[in-house]
Amino acid sequence: MSDPGRDDPATPSRNGWVGWLEKRLNLTEIFSFLTHFGLVYAPVDTTRPVREVVRELGNQPVPSYTRGPRVLGLLAAILFALQGITGVLLAYYYRPTPEAAFESTRTIVRDLPAGWFIHQMHHWGAYLLVAIVALRLIRFFWDGLYRAPREVLWWSAVIMAWLVVQLDFTGRLLVWDSRSYWSTVRGLEVVWAVPIVGPVLAFFLGGRVVNEDVLIRFYVLHLLVLPALYLAFLYFTFATLRRVGLSTAGATPAGPTTTFRRHLYSMLILSVLVFAVIVTLAMLLPFRFLGAADPYATPHGIRPPWYMLAPYALLQKSSMPAWLSGAGLLAAGLGLLLLPLWTRREQGWTSPQRMRLWGVIALGIWVALSAAGLLIDRLQVPR
Amino acid sequence: MRTVPRAWWCLAPLVAAPLAAVLLAPALTAAQPRAIPQPATAPAAASAAAGRCGVCHPAERVLFDKSGHAQEAVHCTSCHGGNDRSVDLAVAHGAGFRGRPSRRDIPGLCASCHSNEDRMRAYNLPVDQYALYQTSGHGRRLAKGDLSVAVCSDCHGAHDILPPSDPASRVFELNIPKTCGTCHGDSATMKARNRPDVFRQYMSSIHAHQLFDQGNRRSPTCVSCHGVHGAAPPAVGDVGKVCGQCHTAERRYFVAGPHRDGLLRAGRSECASCHGDHGIEGARPQRLSTLCAQCHGAGSSQAALGGALWTEYRGAAQEIDKAVALIDRAEAVPIQTEDYRARLEEARTYLREALPAAHSVQRETVEGFTLRARSVSSEIEHEIYAKLGNLRTRKFVLLVFWFYVLVTIVVLRRFRDRGARVK
Repeated sequence: MSDPGRDDPATPSRNGWVGWLEKRLNLTEIFSFLTHFGLVYAPVDTTRPVREVVRELGNQPVPSYTRGPRVLGLLAAILFALQGITGVLLAYYYRPTPEAAFESTRTIVRDLPAGWFIHQMHHWGAYLLVAIVALRLIRFFWDGLYRAPREVLWWSAVIMAWLVVQLDFTGRLLVWDSRSYWSTVRGLEVVWAVPIVGPVLAFFLGGRVVNEDVLIRFYVLHLLVLPALYLAFLYFTFATLRRVGLSTAGATPAGPTTTFRRHLYSMLILSVLVFAVIVTLAMLLPFRFLGAADPYATPHGIRPPWYMLAPYALLQKSSMPAWLSGAGLLAAGLGLLLLPLWTRREQGWTSPQRMRLWGVIALGIWVALSAAGLLIDRLQVPR
Repeated sequence: MRTVPRAWWCLAPLVAAPLAAVLLAPALTAAQPRAIPQPATAPAAASAAAGRCGVCHPAERVLFDKSGHAQEAVHCTSCHGGNDRSVDLAVAHGAGFRGRPSRRDIPGLCASCHSNEDRMRAYNLPVDQYALYQTSGHGRRLAKGDLSVAVCSDCHGAHDILPPSDPASRVFELNIPKTCGTCHGDSATMKARNRPDVFRQYMSSIHAHQLFDQGNRRSPTCVSCHGVHGAAPPAVGDVGKVCGQCHTAERRYFVAGPHRDGLLRAGRSECASCHGDHGIEGARPQRLSTLCAQCHGAGSSQAALGGALWTEYRGAAQEIDKAVALIDRAEAVPIQTEDYRARLEEARTYLREALPAAHSVQRETVEGFTLRARSVSSEIEHEIYAKLGNLRTRKFVLLVFWFYVLVTIVVLRRFRDRGARVK
């Protein structure tokens, strides 16, 4: 415990560069910052040297996040970090005006060394992030993790899923090729059709016509507002977790299953694997890159993004009045948010078992509507 | 408390009435018949140009007031004589009244002004129309006493004469075929004179298609080949000169080849022998393989040459199509393709020039272009294949990458498990 180096900065240290830094910085306090991001769950004694703290914490029992259904949250965090890195690299060269957007994207993809690769990684990362966040929400629902005292966690998960979807939606316009342009046009039609909320939302997105106003707003939302909100909710999630504790549901048994040190290594291995999978997908299955967006020519077979297919089928292609299907969508969204408030009883039609059944039915309807949205344009005779 | 809703219901009509009024107002106004727009004042019977003639001849006056002549101090009396200051028939149709000019006199009457250089100078108009007309098929027949041929007023109109630049004019470029077709498209008249119905032939031609459907204003109308006022069919030996005004490359190669002298000796026209005259079709390169046999006979060496030319052309065109498909594939990757597209245009230009060159019926001349088109296309293909080949190396790099990923994971696992053992 007694370290002579700590008392006298002039004497050489036995601890190498960590000791050197230790004399000049309060490393332990900086290290304790990690507790805000859920990596460390024990209290950190900021008066002790960092080596001791880390060694002690390394042997602390922590819950295993890298196995079982809990891996989804960790995967989402890793993917988000990866998206941040590739996104910053893309932003170095991107210019958000209708005249320059496509040109600059093409420069990135075609002319810069490995630019196509960064672009494809960002594209695939977005695809996987949306899918994983959706799976995470389904898992939360299946295990009933929206019930007291985890209501706030559920809300935060729903809002984070919504943020990821919005990130994907705003990001795909930025490419400004014909597909991204027209799928945004279709997507905005869906947004507009939702009563009350839709027009307000669409106003913030920049209106009905996809032009330079919409582009710059999508740019600001994609680079600044939505990632900042996502980070805020990430912190919010960990803060809540520390209060209500980890879930005991699911495959993993309750309580700690590994040490902090092992957990860190497992997370590193998982990150390497995620990176490798995205690299492989980007290399073997690159997304096609179409010509520049032309507001006067709609290419054939343009659909909204896949997560918007169900609302698209309901609002644009069904014979129901738009306000009714819009109200239905709004009710579904609100129902998802208010779920914890009307599932308090253990018996009756809101009991956990029944809720699973309702969930499966709702998911089935969603999948069927998505399939309808996907097929309805293909079956239509092009006019 | 139960009376409160009732009280509200009593108020309902008060709310509903203005609401209904607001909602129904557009429908009510829409139901009223719209007033037909009327000019501010009815036209006066007399006008500056037509004088008082319009009092009795309103239809002619309306037409004449719209014409170019009305603006230029040409009056009714300029052609018809008489006095336009009076509505008294004896005075108006009195001294010097000419009435309706006979068809025979119309060209001379128009020429009395239009052949006068002093009068026409201010308008920068030519004065040779009358002289040209007398040399034309129309003019010569008129001189022989055939009064049914076209005179000035048949093409330009009598009262409503408009300049050729006015789209409403009968002699506006796009209206010329229809104007000529008034007589030359009238099958009964033409059959009586033993003339073909050239109007319908022309309207089915590539020239009419270009002019009317594609908006190509450089495509010829009747007057481009036959002349305007001196309209006459070109002589047999002159057809090539007429076509060569626009189709310069074709004529250059044709003149250099053996066909020109042979056709002249046989008394056949240069271009029309193969292409026809009024009903000219668009260029169909595959006709190279069939057309030669029509004169030279199937199995002749000339027919074989035609087949060889078509094979050359088709081969080069296919090579270009292959290059286009490859460029599209490369663009979706994406690989930089602007340079390839520009070079492809070069190849297309060579291929396009092979068609005029085919008029020389010399294999070396045609091959000079098709081989160049082929070589540019295959160069492009070669280079794109080299770049697409880089994609294959990417996949090889991926294998190496996964090897290192697996090594990294194994190392990390060992670090993790060693820590556990130490503990």
